[in-house]
Amino acid sequence: MKVIPFWGCMMPLKYPQMELAIRKTMPKLGVELVDIDGFTCCPDPIYFKARDKIKWLTIAARNLAVAEETGLDIVTMCSGCISTLREAQYTLDEDPALKAEINKRLKKVNKEYKGKVKVNHAVVLIRDDLGLDVVRNSVKRSLEDINVAIHYGCHILKPSQIMHVDDADYPSILDDFITAMGAIPIEHKEKLLCCGKGCMDEDLPLDMTESIFASIEASGADCMGLVCPTCFSSFDLGQIMISRKKGKTYDIPVIYLFQLLGLAQGLKPEEVGLHTHRVKADKIIEKIKEIVKT
Amino acid sequence: MAKKKIVVNYRFRDKLNKVQGGKHHNYCYQCSACVAVCPAARFTKEFNPRIILLKALLGMEEELTGNDSPIWLCTNCYSCYERCPQDVRPIEVIIALKNMAVEKETAPANLAKLSENIAHTGVSVTITSAVSRRRQELGLPEFKTPPIEELKDILRGQKEPPKDGN
Repeated sequence: MKVIPFWGCMMPLKYPQMELAIRKTMPKLGVELVDIDGFTCCPDPIYFKARDKIKWLTIAARNLAVAEETGLDIVTMCSGCISTLREAQYTLDEDPALKAEINKRLKKVNKEYKGKVKVNHAVVLIRDDLGLDVVRNSVKRSLEDINVAIHYGCHILKPSQIMHVDDADYPSILDDFITAMGAIPIEHKEKLLCCGKGCMDEDLPLDMTESIFASIEASGADCMGLVCPTCFSSFDLGQIMISRKKGKTYDIPVIYLFQLLGLAQGLKPEEVGLHTHRVKADKIIEKIKEIVKT
Repeated sequence: MAKKKIVVNYRFRDKLNKVQGGKHHNYCYQCSACVAVCPAARFTKEFNPRIILLKALLGMEEELTGNDSPIWLCTNCYSCYERCPQDVRPIEVIIALKNMAVEKETAPANLAKLSENIAHTGVSVTITSAVSRRRQELGLPEFKTPPIEELKDILRGQKEPPKDGN
């Protein structure tokens, strides 16, 4: 299956280890990533949208138009990108006058958003278009004994009338994804709490992330698993911030789920860039080594 | 005790109606379902989406789009959009209010910093030499530079949100 990867900005320019994990794992699931020129930032669904929603829609529509010209579908790996691109599609479909207005803008550069391109998230593509068996079949070392506290993040799920990814109250897509790798999803009470990153306040986001850390610590999970680079920043760098500002040190490795898939597919930790994380993942790496021995 | 007279500022509501996403504020019947699921409301008393919607219905312009507006405490989680039985899409109303605050130049100073890169470089994250090195170390291809001139063309002369309701 050929798809166009929409990398966005956070992944290639802040957390390239996530791009690396996608590039290494997706081909093993039978997905060919066809890189194209011409994309810009999605643009970001928090700050840029807050500044000027019409400009936000214009840039998003341009990105969609760029992909449309190729006839292939887009796959995003970032919850922010899928949120922007799908909401832009929904908003322009709902409001033909606005769509015409935006297309007038795009005409200046000989582009048009028609509304035909399909925007998917990598985990949705895997569940719906490929089936989780492709994940199971790609596993070289099952991650049994690895207990993962999933953090869903908000933008991949909500609003469900736009995202159509899963039940926003009882999601299972990420749990099922890691179960297919052999890992064990661990329930914890703040599994669905927002990471707080989009709040323009100093204290509030830290209070929220701390609540999530405490919940995960109590769950006994080995690590936290997620699919959103913005959430990743809240939790990886976030643990350093909490330690500095609140004096409480947590030691919860934060893993992007495609890094976890890479490990299950037999890649070495550095081959999925785990060494670049602030909170070291040594605990689970040791555990995986033990699984391999037995 | 004499009852305080309530005056609704329809001029402001008209303005809000014309900003993308603002119109749905009219559907709010103050049920508080949004408050029950709002993480910001759970962690601070200063933020309450129902009260923001009430103020929108009353047209309290200064409190919503002035310098001390609580709208910036929204975590952008979309739980209110998910839950609202009236399709108010409270977060989109809040974003419409933010767009209006940007127009009035009352938005927090760091909003400009957090969003200005896109118009200049086409990406929101600053491209640093450190990340280019990291990409090389990881064996990743060079990052494709966004077509910035094309982006500038489509944004040039972009109609700004209306300045008043007329």
